[in-house]
Amino acid sequence: MAISFSRLHSACSHSLVAVLSPLLLLLQMPATLAQAPDNKPVRIGVPTAVQLQVGRDTITAIKMAVDEVNKKGGILGRKVEYVVADETENPETGISAIRKLLANEKVDVLIGGYTSGVTLAQMPHISAAKTIYLGVGAASPSVTNKVKTDFDNYKYVFRVGPINSTHQARALVDYVANFVIGELGYRNIAIIGENAKWVQDLVPLLSKGAKEVGAEVKLTELFDTQTSDFSPLLAKVKSSGAHYMIVIVSHGSSDILAKQWHDAQVPIPYGGVDVKSMDGDFFKRIGGKSISQVTVNFAVRTPLTKKTLPFFDEFKRQSPNYPVYTAFFAYDAVLLYADAVKRAGSLDTDKIIKELEKTRHEGVAGEISFDEQHDLQTGKGKYNMLFVQWQDKGERVVIYPKELRNGNFILPPWMKK
Amino acid sequence: MEILIHGAVSSAIYAMLAVGFTLIFGVARVLNLAHGSFYALGAYGTYMATALLGWSLLPAALMAIVQVALLGVVIEKIFIRPLRHSQLGVLMITLAISLVIEQALFLIFGSEYRNVPAFIQSKVSIGGIDIAGQRLLVVAVAVLAIGALYLFIQWSRLGSAILAISQDAEAAKYMGIPSDRIFALVMAISAGLAALAGVLAGPFLSVQPTMHLLPIMKAFAIVIVGGLGSIPGSIVAAMMLGYAETIVAYTISTSWTEIVSVLATLLMLVFRPAGIFGKRAAF
Amino acid sequence: MRGLHQLDRSSAVAGTAALGILAIVPVIFPGNYLMGVLTVAAIYGIWAVSWDFMCGLTGRENFGHALFIGVGAYAAGYMNVQIGWGPWWSLPIGMLLSALFALLLGFPTLRLRGPYFALAMLSAAVIMQRLMLIFWEHTGGEEGIQDITPLIRNHLHYYWFVLVLLGVITFVLSWLARSRWGLILRAIRGDEATCLAAGIPITRYKIISLVISAALAALGGALYAHYQLQVSPQLFSIVTSITIITMVYVGGMGSIYGPVGGALLLTLLAEGLRDVGEWRLMVYSVLLIMIVFFLPNGFIAPLWQKLRATLRGR
Repeated sequence: MAISFSRLHSACSHSLVAVLSPLLLLLQMPATLAQAPDNKPVRIGVPTAVQLQVGRDTITAIKMAVDEVNKKGGILGRKVEYVVADETENPETGISAIRKLLANEKVDVLIGGYTSGVTLAQMPHISAAKTIYLGVGAASPSVTNKVKTDFDNYKYVFRVGPINSTHQARALVDYVANFVIGELGYRNIAIIGENAKWVQDLVPLLSKGAKEVGAEVKLTELFDTQTSDFSPLLAKVKSSGAHYMIVIVSHGSSDILAKQWHDAQVPIPYGGVDVKSMDGDFFKRIGGKSISQVTVNFAVRTPLTKKTLPFFDEFKRQSPNYPVYTAFFAYDAVLLYADAVKRAGSLDTDKIIKELEKTRHEGVAGEISFDEQHDLQTGKGKYNMLFVQWQDKGERVVIYPKELRNGNFILPPWMKK
Repeated sequence: MEILIHGAVSSAIYAMLAVGFTLIFGVARVLNLAHGSFYALGAYGTYMATALLGWSLLPAALMAIVQVALLGVVIEKIFIRPLRHSQLGVLMITLAISLVIEQALFLIFGSEYRNVPAFIQSKVSIGGIDIAGQRLLVVAVAVLAIGALYLFIQWSRLGSAILAISQDAEAAKYMGIPSDRIFALVMAISAGLAALAGVLAGPFLSVQPTMHLLPIMKAFAIVIVGGLGSIPGSIVAAMMLGYAETIVAYTISTSWTEIVSVLATLLMLVFRPAGIFGKRAAF
Repeated sequence: MRGLHQLDRSSAVAGTAALGILAIVPVIFPGNYLMGVLTVAAIYGIWAVSWDFMCGLTGRENFGHALFIGVGAYAAGYMNVQIGWGPWWSLPIGMLLSALFALLLGFPTLRLRGPYFALAMLSAAVIMQRLMLIFWEHTGGEEGIQDITPLIRNHLHYYWFVLVLLGVITFVLSWLARSRWGLILRAIRGDEATCLAAGIPITRYKIISLVISAALAALGGALYAHYQLQVSPQLFSIVTSITIITMVYVGGMGSIYGPVGGALLLTLLAEGLRDVGEWRLMVYSVLLIMIVFFLPNGFIAPLWQKLRATLRGR
């Protein structure tokens, strides 16, 4: 009969695929068996969003740091290598990337990260593999909360950067109190942010804190990360009577928000945490439409520490971009890890963790140290949030905190009286 | 008032996308999942010509549209025609093509949003509402383009040929109408319209490699609601959707807009699958 | 007609042998990574087979299969994390919930043909995805639900568990497909009117098939949730549905066992291409075009039909 398929087909098909597939994967297994155990290189796994600038800059920074460490003799006399895996912004791909780095590439430490949701999804798998993870991009406090609530399983996780959302909220409240109200005189504010975990953590704190310092929060709204048309939202902000708009966005389309805000000539200046507008070419690529926008940055090219200028100069040699925030932390992470291992005297994970906890490392823009939750501390002499404004011709000027100000605040061109 | 204007803008873009989609289906029974890619390529083509080659806007836009139209013809000839007997086959291959184009855009241009310059930079004030001039341009051009298309189909000889094939392909062939050439022409028009939408909407909507997904899903939805193969149906449905979304966005919140269009589709399918103007019942 | 009722003894033996080989692979080539990929591939296999049973046979392509998968997965996540029940409960609950959805959706949509049914199911899946985002306080929004407890901590044992399930499901569905049930489904694809005239209660068959398909997809979803230890709205997306349809296509639509091969092949391909870096998805899509173009009847099932014919010819 024409339609009498038999199980033989499935058997053959299964066995053929079963035989071919492991061969496919075996071909990629690294040939580390050839090297003697003493000279095995120290391998850094880099899970990051390769197709985004935060990812590319993470990789460039790590390369820079690894080269530096190797020039000085490596870690405990061993060469340092790094291998990248694309975690995208999707938790499923993120988990698969971590699995590849841990099980296949057998890395000694993980440095990377960007989307808090992806990092959170990866954490159980990282914990199961008992490998140290130094985060450089995810801001949600939930990442380090686990260190407190389940130390034995999650002691491997450290956040080298960025400053977590709670601290960010506090810094924003300071900005509102001292600058928006204090210097600009605007009491009515609107808060809009993308509907992602780190924002969900941040906005309630910001809202409450702002009210406590005398602001009137006229509108709070979380928009879908995929939003491509902000006109309804901008219209709402305008009709709410707000005089300043605070934005909290990382994955959402900062480009479109800026363009649409500019094209509709919304008479409300805006600023806040806007990751994509940290990109060096942001101003140019949207035709200058982000003029007068204020963005948070963790470092700019001024001598905040001894390492700031050399870092920026070297980065410029390696990449045409102005580095985004993950670059500073990735660079610092590699160096402070190398130091911790040196102090520990071995690659024993628990010893390294103890040394990491004692870290006092001079980073690109401040001193790095960790609190009991393995989270980055902020404060005097440490990493802080700088409020930087886009001005004419794409110049970036620090307008807050006052001590680091190097220029005057400007209003959007259509609001100039 | 704002709702009126913004709704018109959304409807215009959707209409241009939907009409092209329904046209190629009505005539060739092809569900072209790469239709969204034509939209994307229109925007990217303009970006490339203006940003990288330094052309001025109008010739860049025209060239992009023509190129996409040609690409549509090529795709139809090479990939779609051999598989026309299987609707699923056409679906799969146009889908795969859209993925290839998306990845190519990723690799060439990167994942960041790109800037397509607008034809009209200034702001216009209507009834106290500020609106970017470019958005109004979209409405104007859409009306012109679709109007021209409709006139073309109703009054020209080629137009009649198109109508003939869409009603009965076999009979048309017997009458000596060169169906293959007509398919190519219709594909070119369809792709060109989508590219035009991309060129016009690019300045104020997002231009990034995955920009083809939402438009194709919306176009699909609109075309079903309006009735597969019916141009007036698509236009009406496009307006319904455009306004429904805008109303929801302004009154409730932007998160609910997507659901509106999808829910409308689902309900329409459940209660009246032929769509508003569909001639062909779905069962 | 009688031949369809029985399954060759040799087929049963061969099928078990194939599963055995798959089970031994991670023991011969140890490594969590390979096993992880194979586990995911096996789960995709369950999804592909469940799709093929309903859609491959009746010719009604369901573009929203992700809906049932997501329901199973989120049920697992929600019950486990938000409500705190033990992980083994998610399997039956997910399946029940999904079956319910299938019933609710099936009645109004199954009378639609071709692209209309596809679109209706797709719409349902998209709506669910949106709802997960809108009610983010309960469902974790974009990041979904994390920290789901694994069903079986030992990866190897879990892999075997999934493999056994896959085997049983494929076996049972293959048997059903070649029985009178499958014949009726195929007849429905051909000509519904004739079936009705012959007095067959086609609505009942269609609905029950959809329910079975949905329940099994949900089972896969729950298994997936307890393996990845997290669920996110991406599970509901059209990408998931289309990936599965592609696997069925490559495997050979309507064959039930072919999609298993398709799932394995494509999952391994997607992972194996990681080294190509940025070009990975591009290569994948181009390969897809080539497969659809040159092998419109799929790859695995027809290949082995030929093999079998040549073997017989000897």
